[in-house]
Amino acid sequence: MKIAVCVKQVPDSETRINLAAPAAKLDQTGFTRVLNPYDAYAVEEAVRIKEARGGEITAITVGPETVRETLKKDCLAVGCDKAIIINDPLLAGADDAAIADVLCAALKKDNYDLILFGIKAIDDDSGQVGILVAEKLGLPHVSTITKLELGEGTLTAHREIEGGKEIVDCPLPAVLTCQKGLNEPRLPSLPNIMKAGMKPMQIVTCADLGVTPPAALVEIRQYSPPPARGTCRLVTGDDAAAAARELARVLNEEAKVI
Amino acid sequence: MQLNENQSMIRQMARDFATAKVAPIAHAIDRDGTFPEATVREMGELGFLGLVVPEEYGGVGADITSYALVVEELSRACGSHGLTVAAHNSLGCWPIATFGTEEQKRKYLPPAAAGTSLLSFGLTEAGAGSDAGGTRTTAVRDGDFWVLNGSKMWITNSHYAGALIITAKTDPAATGSRGISAFIVETGTPGFTVEKKEDKLGMRASDTAPLTLVDVRVPHANLLGKEGEGFKYFMKTLDGGRISIAALALGLAEGAFAVARDYTKQREQFGKPIAEFQAVQFMLADMATQIAAARLLTYEACRLKDAGQDYAHMSAMAKLHTSETAMFVTDRAIQCLGGYGYTTEYPVERMYRDAKLCTIGEGTSEIQRLVIGRHALGL
Ligand SMILES: Cc1cc2nc3c(=O)[nH]c(=O)nc-3n(C[C@H](O)[C@H](O)[C@H](O)COP(=O)(O)OP(=O)(O)OC[C@H]3O[C@@H](n4cnc5c(N)ncnc54)[C@H](O)[C@@H]3O)c2cc1C
Ligand SMILES: Cc1cc2nc3c(=O)[nH]c(=O)nc-3n(C[C@H](O)[C@H](O)[C@H](O)COP(=O)(O)OP(=O)(O)OC[C@H]3O[C@@H](n4cnc5c(N)ncnc54)[C@H](O)[C@@H]3O)c2cc1C
Repeated sequence: MKIAVCVKQVPDSETRINLAAPAAKLDQTGFTRVLNPYDAYAVEEAVRIKEARGGEITAITVGPETVRETLKKDCLAVGCDKAIIINDPLLAGADDAAIADVLCAALKKDNYDLILFGIKAIDDDSGQVGILVAEKLGLPHVSTITKLELGEGTLTAHREIEGGKEIVDCPLPAVLTCQKGLNEPRLPSLPNIMKAGMKPMQIVTCADLGVTPPAALVEIRQYSPPPARGTCRLVTGDDAAAAARELARVLNEEAKVI
Repeated sequence: MQLNENQSMIRQMARDFATAKVAPIAHAIDRDGTFPEATVREMGELGFLGLVVPEEYGGVGADITSYALVVEELSRACGSHGLTVAAHNSLGCWPIATFGTEEQKRKYLPPAAAGTSLLSFGLTEAGAGSDAGGTRTTAVRDGDFWVLNGSKMWITNSHYAGALIITAKTDPAATGSRGISAFIVETGTPGFTVEKKEDKLGMRASDTAPLTLVDVRVPHANLLGKEGEGFKYFMKTLDGGRISIAALALGLAEGAFAVARDYTKQREQFGKPIAEFQAVQFMLADMATQIAAARLLTYEACRLKDAGQDYAHMSAMAKLHTSETAMFVTDRAIQCLGGYGYTTEYPVERMYRDAKLCTIGEGTSEIQRLVIGRHALGL
């Protein structure tokens, strides 16, 4: 079984974003970067499949060379066999469609039975790349999976839908996007961290893959900070009824919400 | 301080583990005084218990810097976890890996590294604390065996140990530091008993207990290193162990500092966050400065040891300064939190109690000063 896991490095969710005023670009200095948490479910699932049936896992990312550490610790040390970093100045400002094109070019270099993604990256919350890749490769895709069973040349996936779950059968090869609940990602052990450096990690450009990323269809024009939270106000009264009357008055006359 | 890629990954992994698994239980295990068996098992699986064990014996073979980073990260969340890992690695595994025979290493290190059984170090006795030369436990040769009699105090991890290194007098005529040898004693050996664990001020989830040895027969093959050299071995063991106690104290100080910093930004008195009062800022400034100095000393000691240079004086300085810093910082952290800091609702009072051990274990602050003074004077 050949599995590809497409991953992204994102700012840690604890990162404080310094954005005093709306701006076209984010100041990303001082960000701590981690593996996108949804991608960790994809990596873990791939490793479990490999442990159960054997195979080979390739982790693929589009990003700067600084993703090395994340790929080593959270992919190779966890059980992926090799890693490919697609790093090219041409990709500055690339949108989801362009990223998907480039990933497709990398994926076509090999014959993968299964291609796993996280449902979305927690930085831009876009959630499109996995599905775009499936469409571009002409492969079936199942999104938001919370359980996966593999058959011979087929798979059965459980996916979350509003108020319930849907069970889907699909032939291999296929593209899946992984949701929280699929598994509990493991931490890499220290010996595996130390040995991760011995696994192959390839850094390639768009030219190496024979792909020219298309011009971005989407342009990010502005990031703006969320509106400042209003100050808290404690509404009091002589008794509960009086406090409630006062609250209703404030909501109606001042906040104008009722 | 610049970490290399491996060190940086190891630190991040240890931090992730401490945040996910250790921090949530730290309060309860301290309150109840329970040894965290489940997380210790997980730490074994992740390699924390084989940090200083070479790879050929099932360990990680990490450098000392990486080891200190792990102890530091664990201790930010829980001192007891830090102590369990530090005592096992520095006092249990390291002397066997360093002074042991090939057979001893093959027998005792793999299960220790996997964490299936811990290794402890029994040096201290009721009458031999700072003055380990006062060891009264005896070992008498009987053919292929040594027969050990005596008792030990305050032995970390001993209820969970598969084997312990026990120091004993093998030459009754020798005085002071001479005539002491070290033995690897398996806990199942008849006559060997781990007594009831101590009820302590801090490090309450770390296992500390006295030992009793009555006619304990230990094969000669379990003599560690050479007969009569025990004192030298444990001095060297403690030189290294002190780095891990420094890392432990550093983690406690950092953990307490983070709580105090966040709290003072939230807590309002006199109409503003107390962090806006210069008196509070000065407390935080002093804490941060002491921590920065402690970190540099600790990792300088690591650097020297990793580079194969003399580090005994630096590890003593690191331990002295960092453990006193941990006392200072945890005390100030409680002060920053006022009455809340004095209660178990916040972790700073636990960190304060845990920090106290660091000025005592593996040589008190006074003993560190003796070591540093002798080095400074070239004695
Ligand atoms: C939680 C815990 C875990 C421990 N784990 C272990 C373990 O795993 N293995 C082990 O062998 N031991 C262990 N110990 C024992 C520890 O190493 C000793 O407590 C320590 O060495 C101090 O010895 P003591 O308690 O007998 O104090 P003492 O030596 O009696 O010291 C009392 C006071 O006198 C001072 N003092 C003593 N001599 C001098 C001097 N020459 N000059 C100036 N001041 C002096 C000391 O600094 C101290 O302030 C542990 C202790 C604790 C509390
Ligand atoms: C065991 C215990 C028993 C108690 N018993 C009683 C009791 O019987 N009755 C009772 O009424 N209260 C009692 N208290 C409450 C006690 O008096 C308060 O805890 C104390 O006054 C500090 O207030 P605080 O805890 O809210 O801390 P805070 O006022 O929040 O102080 C937090 C930190 O900010 C500093 N700080 C605050 N304002 C300033 C400023 N303007 N400039 C510089 N620094 C500042 C403080 O010095 C402190 O370091 C008790 C507290 C404890 C812990």
